[in-house]
Amino acid sequence: MGYFSEGMQKAIDLLLHMDDATFSAIEATLTSTCCALLIAMALGLPLGFLLGYTNFPGKKFLRLISDTLLAFPTVLIGLIVYVFITYRGPLGQFGLLFTLPGMVIGQTILALPIIVSWTAAAVENLDVRCRETLLTLGASSTQLALHTIREIRYHLGMVCVTAFGRVVTEVGVAMMLGGNIRYSTRTMTTAISLETSKGEFAQGIALGLVLLLIAFLVNFLMSWFRQKGRA
Amino acid sequence: MNTLFEARDLRKRYGDITALYLPFFSMEKGETVVLTGRNGSGKSTLLRLLAFLEKPSSGTLRYAGNQNDPRKEITLLLQDPYLMKASVFWNVTLGLRLRGFGRERQKQGYRESMLAVGFADPDGMASRGPGELSGGERQRIALASRLILSPSVLLLDEPTSNVDAASEKAILNVVRSLREKGVSVVCATHDRGIPEALDAREVSVVNEGC
Repeated sequence: MGYFSEGMQKAIDLLLHMDDATFSAIEATLTSTCCALLIAMALGLPLGFLLGYTNFPGKKFLRLISDTLLAFPTVLIGLIVYVFITYRGPLGQFGLLFTLPGMVIGQTILALPIIVSWTAAAVENLDVRCRETLLTLGASSTQLALHTIREIRYHLGMVCVTAFGRVVTEVGVAMMLGGNIRYSTRTMTTAISLETSKGEFAQGIALGLVLLLIAFLVNFLMSWFRQKGRA
Repeated sequence: MNTLFEARDLRKRYGDITALYLPFFSMEKGETVVLTGRNGSGKSTLLRLLAFLEKPSSGTLRYAGNQNDPRKEITLLLQDPYLMKASVFWNVTLGLRLRGFGRERQKQGYRESMLAVGFADPDGMASRGPGELSGGERQRIALASRLILSPSVLLLDEPTSNVDAASEKAILNVVRSLREKGVSVVCATHDRGIPEALDAREVSVVNEGC
């Protein structure tokens, strides 16, 4: 176990001395995750709300598809997006392969079903008395929709935090679409994978500690949203 | 004729189940009516129809008030009221906010309606959340959120069930004072003492469709 404690010590040194490679991976991870999450939220929150709030033919089928996509393997997303953005693919002219924007596309696809399905579930699970209460107080249909969103705001926060946690810890999309290029598309998870395969534990442990810290923050936020949602 | 509601052959079905069949029902403006009947007799369903939350499956229901938007005049207090995930002040003034009234009117209405339902210190309650309230307090706050709207018709579904004696007394006092102001009240209850306590006309609801 000597190599582990040695690795841990080196890892702390890397973090304290702001090691370039380590912090580049952290920056790439947070940049791609935040961009993917923002795009997924912009698309997924309205879609999920409509899916949960309105009734239309084919709604159950769409819900089934969205729920099925929750289990989409990240490497499969990576493969599909790869086919589209590779130099011979339909979007090859944009040069997105092995770039952060390329990774963002894949990570957005990963986050989208989580946001759509869980937003729809939050709307569907809202107490029916909420709608009736708003109607008995004279709410118009627009006010009804807006106040429904307000009432599930903490659930929506939890949905976004969950999607962030899923994207920030994924490896498949980042590896296949980012290419694990040092100081460019190397993320925390792909760096940990690479450094471990090389037998270099220090940077892997350092990044692992940062990921653990992020996981703690994510869980702290989830717990806060859950508590506020129950109040 | 001062008829407020008149219903004939009123039927409400949910799928194959007839939740309510009422051959005839009418009430006058300013009258207080207490609906009594067994569980499943359709009292709550009748209130929901009178509140225009739902449409009857068949039959006619006439209302002699605002035809375009009757929900501006009629409000219903649910049996187990729902409070939004927000402060007491926010919950009580929600209806005013939905109607576009400003902060000053909200503050004034909040104070008046909270005092009316028996809260001696409305300001002390203002920032409390729904999780910090007892069952009786929730019921009275929900009632305050309806009173603040100065409705012409107040519909109450089992307002005194699951509340303590003090809350029950406060709620009944509110209903009596509303009658003096000419507000029409329909109250569904299991409590056989309520019609007498309110000196109201009792209408027994028997679901003849069952």
